[in-house]
Amino acid sequence: MTQQEKNLTEIRPRFVVETPPYLHRGYTISGMMRDTFIALLPAAAMAVYYFGIPALRVMCLAAGVCALTEALWQKALGQTVRVYDCTALITGLLFAFLLPAGAPWWLVVVGSVLTIVLGKQVFGGLGCNPLCPALVGWASMTVAWPTYMDPMAMNLTSAFIDPLVRMKFFGWEAMPLSAQSLLLGRQLGGLGSAQIGAVLLGGLYMVARKTVRWEIPTAFLVGVLFFGAIFWQLGEAMGVNPASAPPPHLYLLTGSTLFAAFFLATDHASSPVAFGGMVLYGLLCGLMVVLIRIFGYYPDGAPFAVLVTALVTPMFDLIRSAPYGKGRR
Amino acid sequence: MASMWKEFSKGLWAEIPPFRLVLGLCPTLAVTKSAENGFGMGMAVIFVLVLSNVLISAVRKIIPKKVRIVCFIAMAATMVVAVELLMQAFTYPLYQQLGIFVPLIVVNCIILGRAEAFAAKNPIHLAAADGLGIGIGYTLALTFLGGLRELFGAGSLFGHYVMPEGFVPFALMVEAPGAFICLGGLLALMNCLTIVMSRRGGRELPVNAPCGADCCDANK
Repeated sequence: MTQQEKNLTEIRPRFVVETPPYLHRGYTISGMMRDTFIALLPAAAMAVYYFGIPALRVMCLAAGVCALTEALWQKALGQTVRVYDCTALITGLLFAFLLPAGAPWWLVVVGSVLTIVLGKQVFGGLGCNPLCPALVGWASMTVAWPTYMDPMAMNLTSAFIDPLVRMKFFGWEAMPLSAQSLLLGRQLGGLGSAQIGAVLLGGLYMVARKTVRWEIPTAFLVGVLFFGAIFWQLGEAMGVNPASAPPPHLYLLTGSTLFAAFFLATDHASSPVAFGGMVLYGLLCGLMVVLIRIFGYYPDGAPFAVLVTALVTPMFDLIRSAPYGKGRR
Repeated sequence: MASMWKEFSKGLWAEIPPFRLVLGLCPTLAVTKSAENGFGMGMAVIFVLVLSNVLISAVRKIIPKKVRIVCFIAMAATMVVAVELLMQAFTYPLYQQLGIFVPLIVVNCIILGRAEAFAAKNPIHLAAADGLGIGIGYTLALTFLGGLRELFGAGSLFGHYVMPEGFVPFALMVEAPGAFICLGGLLALMNCLTIVMSRRGGRELPVNAPCGADCCDANK
């Protein structure tokens, strides 16, 4: 790495600022990625603990292929190779967290390439993606190879069960797992995203480090709890089968809801920037999760919810507070 | 003869409809699930395009300017009904596959675009050559796109399985998103190829053709 490239990776995100003097908080892209990596570690460790080497294999493969794809793309198009800022590595890790531990290698490779190419680079690279890249890869794989993305079919030797499938087809009361074992990640799902407790720990760390703004995850979780409670209590009056409307805490403890709230919905390029927009974005994500879980075809609504809601982000970005001194008289 | 060849050959590469003119995208995206569908659709378009071009060129001097669009569409619609009945009679399975997109050839931009931009201003033999060239270009493009999607999405070509054992079909390609991804990729590839070729030949970079290219340039 030459000195010039080193300077580029350490470059601070620069915003066009107005005249007042501002203090720089010292955030760098690679610094934020380091924080995200630390936040992902507990869930990754839990995944390896439960699923063993296959989980480690999926994570390493996805992260490696993502970084390689980004480097090759930037090289081929004559752009500055900025793969050292680790954004591709983290994107690959996020993508791996949504895959089942037993995913075949070719699925991981194709998915990682699509994640970087379709999700990020065709739109112009870092900061230009309209959707969270990991979700683009995940959605392509879910549409292309649904059986190979099914955690039940891919982890046949595992003693765990997929609570979402139970809740979808047998009603939530038939789901035998206790809240404690759900929290400890004793369930099938995305290899990292199902480690509920560890993901929550990492998410709180990111919020505490201000790598992500607290508004989006909070609004997301409040939205899930609020709309989940509405359907739980009033669903029967609205004609919803009460067996398919679980109590709100079960939305958080199963599937990838928490992972989506802390890691996917907070993708910096595809989420709104102002307070009002962030709150509405989070609430809409929460509503979509509940709607897809109750009425949808897919058992886990969270990734699709974030994907769909990110399309509305340009609208939410229209909501912004008036500049100081320019308000109403 | 030379001018006929010129009008014919431009449709094959320089103005190949879905990739250069970017016209007729609705069937391009919707029916190219397999190479056979793409080919059938292309054949129907060739039939309609050649006949409507010839017809419009033949009556171009007696149609009043103000009502020309209506006349063009009426003539194209007649041809489309003819091709629809013919397909029902002779290639019924293909007709069922293409469904609504056969009647929709009437509103295909290529038909009206060639009528307005070329057939209404040129003699019959040139109009026929233009229609045939554009039609064949369209067929080639659709068959290629359909073949590509079928190959990766189902592992077969024209209905015959060709991929090696153990290949798991990439179903995304035969779904709607696959059509957009494929078309976008091919457009990028075409542009890349053009740039490389013109750079190698020492020519200027070509400007993207507006609707129907330079033959309908207002300054000519």
